[in-house]
Amino acid sequence: MQKPLTFAVPKGRILDEALPVMARAGIVPEAAFHDKKNRALSFASEDGAMRIIRVRAFDVATFVAHGAAQMGIVGSDVVEEFNYPELYAPVDLDIGHCRLSVAEPADWAGTGSAQGHVSHLRVATKYPNLTRRHFESRGIQAECVKLNGAMELAPGLGLAGRIVDLVSTGQTLKDNGLVETDRIIAISARLVVNRAALKTDERVGALVDAFRAIAAAGKAA
Amino acid sequence: MTDTAPDLLPEGLEDQLPREAAAAARITRAVMDALDSHGYDRVNPPLIEFEKSMAGRMAGVQPRRMFRFVDPASLRTLALRSDITVQVGRIAATSMAAAARPLRLCYAGQVATIKGDGLDPTRERTQLGAELIGSDSVAAVAELVSLAVDALTAAGGRGISVDFTLPDLVDTLAAGPLALDPGQVDAVRRELDAKDAGGLLQAGGEAYLPLLYAAGPFDQAIERLAAIDAGGALARRIEGLRAVAARVNGKARLTLDPTERHGFEYQSWFGFTLYAEGVRGALGRGGTYRILGSGGEAATGFSLYTDPLVEAGLDQAAPRDTLFLPPGHDRDVAARLRAIGWRTIAAIDAADDAAALGCTHVLDQGEPRKL
Repeated sequence: MQKPLTFAVPKGRILDEALPVMARAGIVPEAAFHDKKNRALSFASEDGAMRIIRVRAFDVATFVAHGAAQMGIVGSDVVEEFNYPELYAPVDLDIGHCRLSVAEPADWAGTGSAQGHVSHLRVATKYPNLTRRHFESRGIQAECVKLNGAMELAPGLGLAGRIVDLVSTGQTLKDNGLVETDRIIAISARLVVNRAALKTDERVGALVDAFRAIAAAGKAA
Repeated sequence: MTDTAPDLLPEGLEDQLPREAAAAARITRAVMDALDSHGYDRVNPPLIEFEKSMAGRMAGVQPRRMFRFVDPASLRTLALRSDITVQVGRIAATSMAAAARPLRLCYAGQVATIKGDGLDPTRERTQLGAELIGSDSVAAVAELVSLAVDALTAAGGRGISVDFTLPDLVDTLAAGPLALDPGQVDAVRRELDAKDAGGLLQAGGEAYLPLLYAAGPFDQAIERLAAIDAGGALARRIEGLRAVAARVNGKARLTLDPTERHGFEYQSWFGFTLYAEGVRGALGRGGTYRILGSGGEAATGFSLYTDPLVEAGLDQAAPRDTLFLPPGHDRDVAARLRAIGWRTIAAIDAADDAAALGCTHVLDQGEPRKL
């Protein structure tokens, strides 16, 4: 009897959209997964063949890259931010769409610094690597202040002039007096798999094929 | 300044204590015996060399990842070896340039890098390997892949799986049948590395998408690769892959991933990675390459990094009997017992405790008596 595969899913944003896709691939978590009072972090699938763990989005990538989970679902923002060589993102699930953008206070728009006439910037973000890479490609040294949430507060309180954060409707930015000035990348959720697991475990390859077929069917529809 | 952790080892370095060291020695011996039995002669290059000769022998070697320092004698930069393969390349191109080809050499030793690799902080590894210099033909590749599987099996690897790849595939296709702008090649390669289908489309590599699907169990994957073979540019490679696969079929599980490039800095048409059941990550890799220098020379080889097997190998070690020799024992009897295979521990002091020192037997009136 083989050990059950471990599938990591992120808390929050993507999860609600991901569950139906997983169900079509035959991965249905047990009822306790949906019980808000249940504090367990690891759940069996309905058929008992898999273990499903619910962790923070960034930790999905870490679990899978280390091989502690064989596969998972996470946004391409996280995949790009870590850029782990052990992590494959073979299927674009076409859910959880948003974008990673640069934003700055609305009353700055049109001033010299907004047009990029600077060589150094301070940016508050959850994505220091992507941010640094983005500004480096424009010849700007970005000093990143790593925050774990509420980036929108940073410019108003003088922590950093700009922020780099996920944007879907833009409402949060607007409510906090910020405007989107530059789009870094478009984001959607990806199926991620551990490189060694894909090559040594046939079940992983079969599931990748299943998800790929679902994604293709979704696109055709 | 007070040193709060005086004897802490630097990150990524560790001691092998007796149990681990014994397992590591057993693994090294098993691998080297397997290589020796196939006619590979062992060479021992030095730990430190001129940076230039380490970096210049093969394309894609990164001196940035080596520990480097200035040689007080020559005032040139020295580097600690990070890959013994390049040193064997130097030996083949210099001291053994006149030796008959194909030249079969093998090696075992420690290598170090200045930084860990991605998620793995390890900075020192045991590298064991074999190189066949003078050929990168299908026959050479078949011999080396099959030898690598044998060596890994001898070292205790179980459920071995071999992943084939074509390291120069993207370059070959980009230059001809699936033409890309030079500016696009890097981005396409990066997305192929991450197997990111969405990213690949964004990078303009739509024509390369089928390559992502041509990965998986060898028999299926090779059919898919043959089906998308652009204008027959890959026909020879596909035929080669099939021949190599036929040679190792049955000894290991085979997979194909034509665009895999991780760890293949200098390989040319063929590369492979070795995995074993119960061991996280790759245990070794190999392939065909060119030794740079006057004229250049084709070669095929592989390296095994067996440290992860040590952990897995611990439980394989049968507990050994050890004989305690009390003070004033008969030395001739002890020597005779050692000659027939006993492992002995002699008392230094009358207070020595046989059981605490790990002995299973004690010498009593000329005979081992179980404790």
